[in-house]
Amino acid sequence: MRLLVIEDDSTLRESLVRKLTEGGFAVEQAADGKEGLYFASEYPIDLAIIDLGLPELSGLEIIKQVRADGHTYPILILTARDRWEDKVDGLSAGADDYVVKPFHFEEVGARVNALLRRSGGWASSVLHAGPVTLDMSRQEVLVNKAVIDLTSFEYKIMEYLMVRAGQVISKTELTDRLYDQDFERDSNVIEVFIGRLRKKLDPENSIKPIETLRGRGYRFALERNQVD
Amino acid sequence: MKSLSSRLLISVSVLLLFFFGATIAVLDRAFTEAGEQARQDILDGHLVGLLAAAEPDDTGQLVMPARLREPRLERIGSGLYAELRDFDGGVLWRSRSALGLEVPVGIVPELGNHLFGREELDDGTPLLTLSLAVDWELDNGDSQLYVFKVAESLDGFNAQVSGFRRQLFGWFAAVAFTMVLAFSMLLRGLLKPLRQIETEITEIEEGDRVSLSGRFPTELTGVARNMNLLIDSERARSDRYRYTLDNLAHSLKTPLAAMRALLNDRQEESFGDRFNEQIDRMDEIVRYQLRKPAASVADNLVLAPVHVEKEVARLVDGLRKVYHDKHPEFDVRVEKGLQFRGDTGDFLELAGNLLDNACKWCERKVRISIVPSVGARAIASGMVLTVSDDGPGIPSDAADALLQRGMRLDESTPGHGIGLAVVKDIAHSYGGRLSIQTSDLGGAEFMVSIPPVSTAKAD
Repeated sequence: MRLLVIEDDSTLRESLVRKLTEGGFAVEQAADGKEGLYFASEYPIDLAIIDLGLPELSGLEIIKQVRADGHTYPILILTARDRWEDKVDGLSAGADDYVVKPFHFEEVGARVNALLRRSGGWASSVLHAGPVTLDMSRQEVLVNKAVIDLTSFEYKIMEYLMVRAGQVISKTELTDRLYDQDFERDSNVIEVFIGRLRKKLDPENSIKPIETLRGRGYRFALERNQVD
Repeated sequence: MKSLSSRLLISVSVLLLFFFGATIAVLDRAFTEAGEQARQDILDGHLVGLLAAAEPDDTGQLVMPARLREPRLERIGSGLYAELRDFDGGVLWRSRSALGLEVPVGIVPELGNHLFGREELDDGTPLLTLSLAVDWELDNGDSQLYVFKVAESLDGFNAQVSGFRRQLFGWFAAVAFTMVLAFSMLLRGLLKPLRQIETEITEIEEGDRVSLSGRFPTELTGVARNMNLLIDSERARSDRYRYTLDNLAHSLKTPLAAMRALLNDRQEESFGDRFNEQIDRMDEIVRYQLRKPAASVADNLVLAPVHVEKEVARLVDGLRKVYHDKHPEFDVRVEKGLQFRGDTGDFLELAGNLLDNACKWCERKVRISIVPSVGARAIASGMVLTVSDDGPGIPSDAADALLQRGMRLDESTPGHGIGLAVVKDIAHSYGGRLSIQTSDLGGAEFMVSIPPVSTAKAD
């Protein structure tokens, strides 16, 4: 998942970026409103964390612009202002949730995960589809209640596909969203990882959780369980 | 052109100029015409006199007597001249007064006609002339054509006219000047209360005065009253800010001191937690102080009304996003077109905190109802805002404790923290109150009642 953090305070921004990266996200960062709007409009992004009080261009303006341009990814606002007037302004402009400064990082992490899951149409942070279960808070994948041992990159691919269960995801999208920019971009690498994932999840080749659509990409093919 | 009085004075002057100009033109014309008519009548009289005086001589030719009855015709250069010509223009007789002057021939009228004309002497003196051509029947039965002509210098008349004009202009100028003067004095008198307001405001700014005196003409009492309201609310606001800042600064010093003390034993195991605790405390203090009411009863009439329905809809839309996973069912019952006299931020704080609490604690259902409360002699209605949920509810002794508590927050009930304290403060600052009951939905019911503003308060 690729996140964007727009925050002008460098200490806060760097700490957020570091913790989110540790949490397995690819993170873009911007220090002012103009730069932020550029990233928010031009980069493939799954979620944006936007501070409301920014130099150059206010966070509210960025949100309005991004929504007017038709981007639908979730937006989490950070605000130092605790009055409802400011929260309501942000939410009406198109943000999906808010965190009031100063915050504990765990709170931001939880909101980010909830928003990502929500944007994929899941109601809980534990996703169930057939025999496969993915626990976003623990970053674990289980098949028939047995924990599968995945590398962090394999987990990221799995999470990306499963959150968007049913959608076709191209190789380019996967490389864009999962690698940090300095990573070598080679779509063959994705094929290798998908192959390993399949082997680990489905050694018998009986449940077939991940489909390959020739020339288009991959799809998590199992039906979501409605009990969520 | 920015001042009212200069605008008025200029318009009035233009109007006077136009009016007096037209009057002068009409009077002048009437006077000249009447004068000219009188001159013509006089000339006519002289002509008749001439005709009567003319006598045929022995040869049958017309001759004039040696002395005429009109003395002006006998006095040289008197300004009244007469002559008799034959039809070819030859001068047969000329009055003594015209001695040495050459009265121009002018146009010869048709037989039997009077003809008035304006001619000039050689020296440029303007003349009004009257000529008459007559067919004089001689005794022998023949007839001879003659032209009688009288002329009068217009010098006197013109002098009269310009004298008249001078007087006319003089008088009108005097009248106009007096009127403008009177008008500007009147204006000064009329605008005096405005100047007084200005002076009093300056005095208020300089701190020499608390409010406007209130001794103003009826048209201005409203302005003065609203101005006083504005000044009062502004003063109350700045007092409130000063008080808040003061409080904020002082209350932050305690955790700061605690943190400094903590830094001395940072080797201790629980250092991180205890340090964080102080940060949280500071955060709470800042949050609470900054969310205090922005307005109060005094501001009610000055502030633009809040459109309750719209703001509640915005809040509910926002909360639907925030509580997306919990998915509470909102039941919004807001009286259509209801307005709240107060600060928008304060209203959002009241409704937002209560709704947020309800969303946190509810099982599924959240209800908000807002109805106006109207009182006798009220000029702005109050409101009763009720938010209920189907959550666990609050036992009545706990509710009392919750209402008693100000800033001392019990960490074990994070849901009813600062938010409720803020709601209570805002309700109080608008002269209202907050109460907690059990809802028919099964959970807690928070009710804020803001009383209507009565006229007694406004005056």
